[in-house]
Amino acid sequence: MSLSTDIWVWIGAFLTFCIYSFLYKDNPLYKFGEHLYVGVANGWSLAFMYLRVIKPVMVQPFGEACRITAQEGLRAELFNPMAPANFLVIIPGLIGCLYFTRFIPGQAWLVRFPIGIFMGYYTGVAVPAVIEGSMFPQMKGSMVTLAKFDAASGGGFWSGIFAIIVLLGVLATLTYFFFSKEHKGITKVGAQTGIVFVMIAFGASFGFTVMARVSLAIGRMVFLLRDWLGIVS
Amino acid sequence: MNWDRFASLDRRYIFLLMALVIIIPILVPMNITMGTMRVTQDLFDTVDAIDRTKQALMISSDYTPQTEAENHPMIIALLRHAFARRIPVLINALYVEGAPLLDQALKQVTAEFNARATSHADSIIYGRDAVYLGWQPPPIVPILSMGQSIRGIYPVDYYGTRTDSLALTQWTHNYDQVGIVVAITSGTSPLWYVMYAQPKYGVKVGGGCTAVNAPDFYPYCETGQLSGIMAGMKGAAEYEALVAEKFDLEDRRKATEAMASQSAAHVLMMVLIVIGNIAFFATRGRKS
Repeated sequence: MSLSTDIWVWIGAFLTFCIYSFLYKDNPLYKFGEHLYVGVANGWSLAFMYLRVIKPVMVQPFGEACRITAQEGLRAELFNPMAPANFLVIIPGLIGCLYFTRFIPGQAWLVRFPIGIFMGYYTGVAVPAVIEGSMFPQMKGSMVTLAKFDAASGGGFWSGIFAIIVLLGVLATLTYFFFSKEHKGITKVGAQTGIVFVMIAFGASFGFTVMARVSLAIGRMVFLLRDWLGIVS
Repeated sequence: MNWDRFASLDRRYIFLLMALVIIIPILVPMNITMGTMRVTQDLFDTVDAIDRTKQALMISSDYTPQTEAENHPMIIALLRHAFARRIPVLINALYVEGAPLLDQALKQVTAEFNARATSHADSIIYGRDAVYLGWQPPPIVPILSMGQSIRGIYPVDYYGTRTDSLALTQWTHNYDQVGIVVAITSGTSPLWYVMYAQPKYGVKVGGGCTAVNAPDFYPYCETGQLSGIMAGMKGAAEYEALVAEKFDLEDRRKATEAMASQSAAHVLMMVLIVIGNIAFFATRGRKS
C-alpha cells in the first residue's frame, strides 16, 4: 500500500466520497460535491471558450484587420472570411451579442434574431440530413432482398432469415404504435407481436445500461484503490 | 421463507453488495476469457486497412469525465493501434469538458511509443504523426466544415499552434484524406457524422460508445453506415486485446482489467433480478 502524495488525487478521492455518500442518504457533502462540479465545469468552459475559440477565431482576426488598416489602409482581402485577418468575423460576433439583450428591459425582443438564425440554420441542415442519412438508409436496410440470401453478395441463409425477422419486427412494432385504428383482428396480432419485439429491445437496452453503470463504478473503484490508496499495482 | 424481508430490503445493502462484488476482482485479478464481437472486429479491420501514406485516422470525441471509465480506454486503444501501424492521427473534441482528456490520452500513448523508439523516424512526433485540433462549437459546424477544409475550421490546434504550420495538417485538407472518423462518445456523435458528413462527403464512420447508447448504433452497423463500433467497456476491452495481440504490445489495458468486476457485477445483478421477481410474486400471491 502506498498512499498517493498528489494533492489532486486526494481532492478527487474526497469528492468521490462526497458524491457516493448520496447512496446512504442525501447530505450536505453530496450537495457540496454536486454544486462544486457544476461551478467548476461552467467556469472552465467559459474560460476555455474565450481562450480557444472567441480569441483566436474572432478577437485576433478582427484586431489584426484593425491593425493592418491603421498601418496600411483598408484592403479588399480584409473582407475575405477565410483570411487570418478580416473584418467579417465581427458580424456573427455582434449577432451573438444580441443574446445579452435579454437582460436589457425593453430590448429583450432583439434576442429573437440570434435564436431565429440558430433555429433556422439547424432546421435547414438537420431535416435533409435525417432523411438522407438516417431514414432512407434505415428503410433500405429493413428490406428483404435476394442479395441477403446470396453468399456471393455477402449474404447467406441465416443472413436472409435475420433480414425477414428484422422486417417482421419493424412492421409489428410500427403496428403497435399505430393508434389511428383500434387494435383488433390482424392489427391486434401485429401489435401483440410488436410488444414482444419492443420488450426484447428494452431488455437489451437494460442489459447495456447495467454494463454502463457498472463500468463507471469500476472506474471510480480503480481510482480509489490504485491512484489514491495504492493497493492495486 | 420470509419473502417480505427481501421485498422490503434496504437498498443500501444492495449497494454494499455491489461494491464488494466490484472491488474483490480488482484486488484479486482474474483472467476472463472473452470473444470479440463482429462490430469491434469490423472497426479494427477498417482502421487497420487505412493507407497511411494517403489518409489519416480521425478520432472525434464528445465524452466528458463522467464516462471516462468507458470511453478513455477506447481512445487509448485506438491511438495505440494507429501509432503501431504508423497511421497519422487527427483528433478533435466536440465537447469542451472532455478536451483535456484527449490531450492526456495523446501524451500518454505518445510517451509509451517514444519510450520504445530507437530513432527520430521511429518516434511519434507531434505535428507529423498526430495533431490535436482542439474544440470548435457547435459540433455540427466542424463536422460539416471539415468536408471542405480542416485548417479552415481549426486555424489553430489545441495548443495554440497554427495548423497551417504543422506537417500533418498541411496534407490532410478535408475528409478525402481521412480514412475513417471514429467518434468516441457518451452520446450519439457517430450518428451526427453519419447523417451530416457521410452523405455529403462519403467519409467512413466508426464509433466508440457507452454501453447505454450501444443499442442505438447496431442498426447503423447492419446497414454499413457505421463501419464498426466499440460497445461500452466490453468493446474497449476487445479492441485492446486485438491491438495487443496483433502488435505484441504489453502496455496496461484498463478495460480488460475491469472485465472480471464487470462479469461479477452482472452475475449479481441477474441473481438479484431473479430473487426480486420471486419475492414479488410470492408476496403478491399471499396478499391476494
